[in-house]
Amino acid sequence: MKRFWVSVIIALSATVFMFYQNGAFAEKPGETKAPVAKEVKKPEAKTEQKQEIKLDMSAALTIQADKTSLDNGGTITVTGTAPAGKPVYLEVWAEKKVRASRFDADKDKETGKRPYILYMTYEMPAHYKIYIPKDKKEDLEKIKKEGKKWAYSKALKDLGADIAYSIPAKAKIDRYQATLMGSIIGSRGELLSPMDEKENKKRSMQLVKARFRSPGKVLAPTVEVNPDGTYKAQVTIPKGSAPGKYTVVAVVDKNVKSQPVTIENSISFPNVYLSNAGTSLNLFGPFFLTLGIVIFGVLMGAGGGFIMNPLLVSIWPLPHTIVAGTVMPTVLFSQASGIYNYSKIKFISWKLGVGIGLAMVVGGFIGPKLTEMITLEQFKFVFGWILLILAGLMFWQTTPGYIAKNKKEQAILKEFKKKAEESAKGKQG
Amino acid sequence: MVVEFWGHEFKVNIVLGCIGGFLIAVVSSMFGFGGGPFMVPLMTVGLGLPMYVVVGSSLLAIFFNTLMGTMRHYQFGNFDMLFFLIMFPAAILGGFIAPQIAKRVSPLTVKRVAVAGLVLLALNLLGVY
Repeated sequence: MKRFWVSVIIALSATVFMFYQNGAFAEKPGETKAPVAKEVKKPEAKTEQKQEIKLDMSAALTIQADKTSLDNGGTITVTGTAPAGKPVYLEVWAEKKVRASRFDADKDKETGKRPYILYMTYEMPAHYKIYIPKDKKEDLEKIKKEGKKWAYSKALKDLGADIAYSIPAKAKIDRYQATLMGSIIGSRGELLSPMDEKENKKRSMQLVKARFRSPGKVLAPTVEVNPDGTYKAQVTIPKGSAPGKYTVVAVVDKNVKSQPVTIENSISFPNVYLSNAGTSLNLFGPFFLTLGIVIFGVLMGAGGGFIMNPLLVSIWPLPHTIVAGTVMPTVLFSQASGIYNYSKIKFISWKLGVGIGLAMVVGGFIGPKLTEMITLEQFKFVFGWILLILAGLMFWQTTPGYIAKNKKEQAILKEFKKKAEESAKGKQG
Repeated sequence: MVVEFWGHEFKVNIVLGCIGGFLIAVVSSMFGFGGGPFMVPLMTVGLGLPMYVVVGSSLLAIFFNTLMGTMRHYQFGNFDMLFFLIMFPAAILGGFIAPQIAKRVSPLTVKRVAVAGLVLLALNLLGVY
C-alpha cells in the first residue's frame, strides 16, 4: 500500500508541473493577450521624484515618468506633451545586453537559393519594446493572429512604429556563411564582411523576433494621445526582466525624439539574474524543479534531462541554447561517479565503452552546433517526438514479456555484481 | 569485435553500435539530455548484449558524449554559470534522496506514471493541446 501512495504523490507532483507549464504557455504567440497593465504601488519606489525634462527645440516634446526605480518589474506611467495631432511612440530598452542568433535558411524570393547564413549579435537589449498609440490596437491584434509566421519588420511598418525603432538597429551583427562541411565539423562557418547600416537594421529586426518571439513582447498599444497633444502611457517592465537601467524615449517622428527618461530596475534575493540567458528568476524555482525531476528520473531509470529541458523552456523565458548547454554539465558528475563506482568493482567493459564512446564523441562535437541553428519552435517540436519515442520505450518496458525477461537479466546482473564486489574486496584485503 | 566480460565472450557488431551511438550522441547533445534510455536498448536489443554488460559500459559511452557536448556548448556560449549553480546542488541532492525512495516504490508503477507523463508533455510540446 505504501508503494501505491508514494507513486500517487509522484504522479500528482508531475501533474502539478504540467499545469504550471500550461499556465506559462498562455503567453505563447498566437494567443492574444494584451500585457496586463497593473498599477503597482511599491512603497520603496520614489514616486514623488518626478523627472521632467524639456528638450528638442523644434517640437515641444516632453516626457516624464512617475517612478525612477522598480523592484523586480512593475508599471510606470509615462506622461508628456507632443505636437498636437501626431501619434506618439515610446521606445523602451534595457541597458543589459544579451545574445541573439538566427539561422537564415529561407529561400530567397528572387534567386530561389537558400543563403544558409547565421546572424548573431551580442548586443540585443535584454528587454525591448515599442509602445504604440492605443488606436492601433486592432492592427496589432491582426498581427498577433498571424501566429508564428509574423514578421517584425512588417509589423513595425504597418503600425507606423518603424520611426521609433533605433536601438537594436545599431547592434553589431556578425554573420557567418555556414556550409554543410563546416556544420559537420562543427564550425560556425566563415565570418562575412560587416553589413551596411540598412542591411544591419533589416537583420536586427529578424533577430528581435528570434529573441522575443511574440508580437506582444515587443509591441504594446498603451499610449493615449489627446487632441491637445498631451499623452499618457503605461510602461510595464515584466517580472523576470533584467536588472539595471531602462530607458524610455518618446518619438513622434524619425528625428523628433524626447530626452531619455531612465528607470532603475532592481532585483533582490531570491531573484537572480542569469546574465547569459537575459532572464531573472526566483532561484528556488529551478532548484526544486531540478530536485523533483532528478528524483523522478532516477526512479524511472532515465536521466532527468528529458523532462527538465522542455519544462525549463516552457516555464521560464529561457533560450533553448542556454537550457541545453547548462543542463548537460549537471549530469556530468553523476555519470562520472557512476563510472567510478562501476570501475571499482571492474564492472565496465572498457573496450566496448570506449569503442562506442569514440563514435559518441564525434556526435557530441556536432550536436551543440545544431542547437543554435534551430528556433525554439523547432526545438519543442523535435523534443515532442523524442519524448513520444521515449514513452514508447518505457511502455515496452512495462509489458509482461519484457518484465519476465528483465527479471532474469536482473538476477544475473545481481549475481555478477556480487561476484565482482567480492573479488574487489578480496583484493583490498 | 569480441568483448570479454567476466569470463564470457560476446561478439559485438561494433559498426552498428558506433552508428547508433553517433546518432544518439548528435541528438542528445543537441537537445541537452543524457541519452541513457536510448543507449541501453541499443546495446541490449540492437547489439544483443546482456544487461550486466550494458549497465556500466553504456554509462562510459554516454560520458564521452556528455563531456564533449558540455565543452562544445561552453565554447558556443550556451552555458550560464549561475543557472548551473542553481541546478547542480539540486541534482546532487536528488541523487541522494532518490535511492531512499526507490526502495519503497515499484519501478513498474513509476514507469507507468512516466509513460503517461511523457505522452502528456510530448503532446503539449507538439501543440496538440
